[in-house]
Amino acid sequence: MTQKKFLSNISSLKNKLLLTNPWISSTLIIASLISLPLIIIFLNIANDGGDTWQHIVKNLLPTYVTNTIILMLGVALLTFIFGVSTAWITSVYDFPGRKFFSWALILPIALPAYISGFTWAGILDYASPVYIFFRTYLGVETGQFLFFNILSLPGAIIILSLAFYPYVFLITRAWFTRQSSSVLEAAASLGRQPGSVFFKVALPLARPAIVAGISLALMEVLNDYGVARYYGVDTFTTGVFTAWFSFSNPASALKLSAYLMVFVLILIATERFQRRKLRFDITGSSYRPLARKRLNKKQTLIATLICAIPFLLGFLFPALMLLYWSYFTFSIVVDARFWELLGNSFLLAFLASVAVVILAMIIAYTTRSFPEKTVRFMAKVATLGYALPGAVVAIGILISFLWLESFLASAFNTAFRIAITGTWFALIYAYVVRFMAVGYNSIESGMQRISKSVDEASLSLGASRMKTLLKINTPLLSGSLISAALLVFIDVLKELPLTLILRPFNFDTLAIRAFEFASDERVAEAAPSSLIIVLVGLVPVLLLNKIMGTTEKQN
Amino acid sequence: MNILELRNIGKQFPGSTDWAVKDFNLTIEKGEITALLGESGCGKTTVLRMIAGFETPTSGCIYLNGECVSDDKTFIEPQHRQVGIVFQDYALFPHKTVWENIIFGLFRLSAEEVKQKAVKIIRICGLEGLEKRYPHQLSGGQKQRVALARAMAPEPRIILFDEPFSNIDSKMKTQMREDIRQIIHKTQATAVFVTHDTKDVMAIADKVSVMKQGIALQIGKPEDIYKYPVNAYVADFFGKTNLMMARVSEKGFITPMGLIEVDNIEAEPNKMVTVSIRPEQLKVLPEGKGHMVGKIIKERFFGEYKELTCIVEDHDNKKTEIIIYASPGYQCKSNKCYFEPNNNSLNILND
Repeated sequence: MTQKKFLSNISSLKNKLLLTNPWISSTLIIASLISLPLIIIFLNIANDGGDTWQHIVKNLLPTYVTNTIILMLGVALLTFIFGVSTAWITSVYDFPGRKFFSWALILPIALPAYISGFTWAGILDYASPVYIFFRTYLGVETGQFLFFNILSLPGAIIILSLAFYPYVFLITRAWFTRQSSSVLEAAASLGRQPGSVFFKVALPLARPAIVAGISLALMEVLNDYGVARYYGVDTFTTGVFTAWFSFSNPASALKLSAYLMVFVLILIATERFQRRKLRFDITGSSYRPLARKRLNKKQTLIATLICAIPFLLGFLFPALMLLYWSYFTFSIVVDARFWELLGNSFLLAFLASVAVVILAMIIAYTTRSFPEKTVRFMAKVATLGYALPGAVVAIGILISFLWLESFLASAFNTAFRIAITGTWFALIYAYVVRFMAVGYNSIESGMQRISKSVDEASLSLGASRMKTLLKINTPLLSGSLISAALLVFIDVLKELPLTLILRPFNFDTLAIRAFEFASDERVAEAAPSSLIIVLVGLVPVLLLNKIMGTTEKQN
Repeated sequence: MNILELRNIGKQFPGSTDWAVKDFNLTIEKGEITALLGESGCGKTTVLRMIAGFETPTSGCIYLNGECVSDDKTFIEPQHRQVGIVFQDYALFPHKTVWENIIFGLFRLSAEEVKQKAVKIIRICGLEGLEKRYPHQLSGGQKQRVALARAMAPEPRIILFDEPFSNIDSKMKTQMREDIRQIIHKTQATAVFVTHDTKDVMAIADKVSVMKQGIALQIGKPEDIYKYPVNAYVADFFGKTNLMMARVSEKGFITPMGLIEVDNIEAEPNKMVTVSIRPEQLKVLPEGKGHMVGKIIKERFFGEYKELTCIVEDHDNKKTEIIIYASPGYQCKSNKCYFEPNNNSLNILND
């Protein structure tokens, strides 16, 4: 029976001429190229790292492991508290600030963690206007930093949590607002107090959503280099940099990347396992949205306070500080070199987003036209990069390119050297690997809204698939294509670890410049570059707010 | 000549052990309108999509104009088949005007020919004056005619309709059926359409294939299938009918209603068979006339006729419910209905 089944599968593949189909073979090529860095890393995991690796294992690895684990646990706890409490308050209660906080709480997404990191260090620093105010008017004097030494592991946990809790907030809030009120009303009608309804019913039901949000936040933690380095916390990601730049030992960098991937895989597995439970939690046809409960004055005050803390600390204070610094350093920092930097960053981000959008279109259209298991698997592989920390992608690509170069050099002659590493090509390739999922998800969901029979109508009229994609799908998808390009553009603009490793010699982006200024204790001069990144990053958040507003009205 | 021939077509979807379509055969001649009739999930749409090339048959061959477009080795992509299709949701390109929609398939022609063809099909489909409109500015009926015009403009070898009347309200349906039939005949096109409504079939099909669970139960003219259904399912699907067991005798069939005489008895004597008699084949007689009588338990007025539900008793006092159509003005004085069957109105079923 299985034998027969297998044979019939083969013949159906033959029917479809799987590999001679240009769409499927292009998707296969794209998926292979995207998975290449990861494959390289795992192929080389057993390479001998020599004495350097011995040194790392003996002296550094234990610190990497404990720091990374503590960082993840701390961020998981804090993003849970920030994200779930605010999601619950803004979805089941009605109070004057609800609408404002529903989108204001997302704003920290626009503020990259490393920028928030050095800004906060600056705010609490001895020389900051805030500390001066506390010192002169309130007589508070607490050493080098106001209140506590923020450049520490706990400090890093707080900064990363303030930067990444919006993932938990967004997903959990979407979940709460999608829930039918009947479940919560049933609990209340059985005599449960509101607090008890939350802990006994709402929270367990929302668990898959919360886990999904937290794992996204933790993936960002594993990707983070800027905060960990600036705050002096040695993690796996900073370890990869140390091995590469300080020890010049690629084998160790590879091994550390592989270890880092183990953390990522555990995260993905946990999230997948939880998501399987999501199925029976989805409410049926008797959907009735939550009727929001009005809060009295005292309750409003508490709700506002809970929502205000992550918003003020995660966005408003650092943003105001950046504005303040920019005002003073604008004239010093913004010179011809700055505009060149801006042009570089924007051009790079633009090229990367165009590349991602074109490749994502091909993959999305192939999966739409040939929804075979193998094709869908290829699409999954091609979008895996979102889970890979930037440093891992960079090391994987760098190693493969170095090989390719030495191979080409020996195959032809030594005079004929193609330098691929340290070019824009390597950078853009890396961005495509890392941000393909961002572009693909946007385009794919847009395609799902177009009836499949529209494509089929075009084909039945004799148009080729390429013509169908260009003349029918592309114009209908324009909104999704623009949002996909925009999201990738912003991600590239603020990307740090990957760009640091792969950038061409003497090449800077806004993100790198900001980080370097901050690392040189010139935080105020980092502000103008940071501010531009934040402002561009605000665009999709404002768009998201508009979309959320319209869906809320429809409900 | 056969425009289309399906030979032993089978389709098994991945992950399913059941056949969505099994050993399906169909030949269509030029100018014919053929219907695939069945309940939802019977595989009729899958057959249509295999003809168009949107699904790959698991087994069997498809020939268009005598040329093989799909078998074990060959698979011609839909864009090279010259098969037009009108989708259930019309699938008009929302970003193109009526005119742009209609000329979309004419890209191989010169500008002059495009104009000529488009103008002609627009006139045939009665879309004059709507050329500049966008799909969202059209009514349901107009959208369907645009979809039809767009599919017909490149003069496909065959044109397919997926549930063409299911999105149209019943008042418009009659008009739409007539329009489509006329347009198809005017352009001498060949058409296949899928439907679950027998009325569509009766109104426009020259030929019909009744399907159930992926299998063609009966193929023929709608009239023949109505009169001579092969089994109880087809008989019941094609309008109301009275199904009952009958014993074969020398003169005819002994049914619960009584003996029905038949000229040529093609069955062994004394055998029990299932027979079908359409309600309109039972003629209501004045009181006391005829040898069949039933007790009326229900009357329903349908405008052009009255439907009577009666109980008849056989010799063993076994009760059977039957349906008879009486004239709309029929008034029953007692609650008894006297009736007799028309000659040769009875049909023996296979199972």
